[in-house]
Amino acid sequence: MEQILKATQLSKYFYQKKALNKVDINIEKGNIYGILGPNGGGKSTFLKIAAGLLKPSQGEITIDNEKPGVYTKSIVSYLPENNYLYRWMKIKDALNFFKDLYNDFDFEKARESIKFMELEEGEKVTSLSKGMMGRLKLTLALSRKAKLYLLDEPLNGIDPISREKIITSILDSYSEKASILICSHLIYYIEKLLDYVFFLSEGRIILSGNAEELRNKRGMSIDKLFQEVF
Amino acid sequence: MEFNNSIPIYLQIIDSIKKDIVVGKLKTGQKMPSVRELAAILKVNPNTIQRAYQELDREKITFTKRGMGTYVTEEKKTINSLMQEISKKIILDFVEGMNKLGFSNKELINTLKEYL
Amino acid sequence: MMTLLKYEIYRRWRWLVLRYVALIIIGIILLNRVASPAYQNEFIGESIGKFIFASLVIFIIVIVEGINMLKEDLFEECGYLTFTIPKKGRTVLASKLVLLFLQLSFWTMISIGFGSILFSKLPYHEIVQIETQINFYLFPTVLFILTAFFNFVLMVHFSLTLTKTLLVNKRYSSLLSTGIFFFLIYFIEKVYYGPFLNQLNHVSIEIGSRSNINLLSGGYTAVFLNIILTAIFFTATAYLLENKINI
Repeated sequence: MEQILKATQLSKYFYQKKALNKVDINIEKGNIYGILGPNGGGKSTFLKIAAGLLKPSQGEITIDNEKPGVYTKSIVSYLPENNYLYRWMKIKDALNFFKDLYNDFDFEKARESIKFMELEEGEKVTSLSKGMMGRLKLTLALSRKAKLYLLDEPLNGIDPISREKIITSILDSYSEKASILICSHLIYYIEKLLDYVFFLSEGRIILSGNAEELRNKRGMSIDKLFQEVF
Repeated sequence: MEFNNSIPIYLQIIDSIKKDIVVGKLKTGQKMPSVRELAAILKVNPNTIQRAYQELDREKITFTKRGMGTYVTEEKKTINSLMQEISKKIILDFVEGMNKLGFSNKELINTLKEYL
Repeated sequence: MMTLLKYEIYRRWRWLVLRYVALIIIGIILLNRVASPAYQNEFIGESIGKFIFASLVIFIIVIVEGINMLKEDLFEECGYLTFTIPKKGRTVLASKLVLLFLQLSFWTMISIGFGSILFSKLPYHEIVQIETQINFYLFPTVLFILTAFFNFVLMVHFSLTLTKTLLVNKRYSSLLSTGIFFFLIYFIEKVYYGPFLNQLNHVSIEIGSRSNINLLSGGYTAVFLNIILTAIFFTATAYLLENKINI
C-alpha cells in the first residue's frame, strides 16, 4: 500500500492556541478517509496545511514525498469550506480557469457534471445559492484527476437532493490510485463511504481505525461512536 | 437498500446477496455488478464491496473470472446449503425471539401450528 | 505567468479599455479646443489643467488598483484559490506587476503624448524657456517618476505580505502594514537615497550633465537606484509569498 500523505508530529500554533498538536497521520492510496471532530478541533487546519495554505509550526508533512509547494498543489485537489472563487467569475470562467491552471482537469467531465448538478454555465458565481455553490465547488474539485482530494465539509448547508448528488460524485471520483480525505461533522451521511476514520479534537487524534472494524468492536455506528467520544 | 450503520456494512451486503441468490433474484451463473457499479448503487465505499465479494468468493458462493467479473456459482449443492444456512438462521432467530417472550419450545411449536 | 496575466486582464478588460479611451477622448477634445483659432491663449492653460487633472485621476485609479490586486488575494477568501493553484509566489506577483507596468507605460505615453502637444500650443516665449530644459531632463524624470510609483505599489505589496506573515487575524493588519510601509519610506529616504542626494537631479530644471547616458550621471542615477529597489522588493515579497504566508 503506497502512502500519498505522511504527517509526522505535525503541529500548528496560532499565538497561544495549539490548533494541531503533534499529529501523526498516514494516508494510503485507494482509500477514503474521514477526519471527524467538533468544530475548531483542527480538521480544517490540517487540510489547509496539506493544501499549502498554512505552514507547519513544527513537525513535517509530505505529499508524495514532497513538502507542500508547487508540485503538491498540482496533485492535490482542495475543496475549502468557504466561497473561494473570484467574484468576477461566471461558472464557465471557473471551468476555463481550472482547465488553464491544472493539467489534470477533465474539462468535458466537468461540463457534464455541471449539467448533472443542474447548474447553468452562464451564471455569475455571486448569484449562486449555498447549495449551488457547494455543488459547483465539488464539481471543480472532483473533475481533477488528482492523487489526493481534500474535501472540507463538503455537505455543510447542502439540501438533501444536492447531498445525494455530491455523494454520488465523490464515489464516482474514487480510484485505486487516489485518496480522498473528507472532513466533516455530519457523519451520518458519509460514514458508509469511509475506509478509515480519524477523530480529531483540540488538535489531537483521539481515535483512529478502520471503519468496519470499529463498527464490529464497538457495536455501534461511527456516528454514535462520535457522539460518545465527544 | 437501507443499511444499519452499527453493524459492519460488508456483512450486511453479504447477507443481502445470499438472500437474493436463494430467493432467485440473482440466478445461478449470473454476472454480479462490478465493484464500482454496486458501490454507486448502494452508495457505499468500493473497498467495502470488494471485501464482501472476496468473502463470497472464499465461501465459494461466487467465483471471479479475472478481468471478466464476479459470477454467482452454478453449483446447486452450494445454493442448497446456502438455503439451509439462511433458513436455519431464520429459525434460530425465531426460536430465540419466542424464548425471550417467555414461550418454551413446546409452547412455540403449538403456537406455530395454530398459525399455519 | 502568461495564463495568470491573461486572467488579470480578462477580469477587468472593460475597465481597462474605458479608462484609457476616456483619457484619449478627453485629450482629443481638449486638443480640438486648443487648436481652434477662436481660442485665446488664456484658455490653453485651462485646457492643460483639465488634462492634467483627468490624467491624474486615471493615474490614481491605476495605482490603487495595483495595490488591491495583491491585497484581495492576501486578505480575502479568494486567496484560497490563488494560493492553491500550482504557481510559485513570484509568478503570482509577477502577473500583477506586469499588468501594472503595462498600464503605467501606456498611461505615460498618452499623458506625455497629449501633454507635449498641448504644451507646444503655448505662446512662443514660454515654450522656449521650458522646452530646452524639460526636453533634456524629461526622459529621466519620467522614468524616475514611473519607477518610483511602481516601487510605491511594490512596497505596499511587501508591507501587506509581511503583515500577512506575522499576523493571522485581520484585526490589526491595516495598522501593521501602514506602519511597515512608512518605516520603509523613511528608511529608504534617509539611508538609501541619502548618499546620492547631491547627485540626484530628478527635478529637471537645475544643474546636471548634458547628453551623457552614463548611468551614474545626473538624472539616471535615481532611476538606477529605483530599479535596484524594485529587484530587492520583488525578491523579498516573492519569497514571503512562496514560503512564509499563512492564508
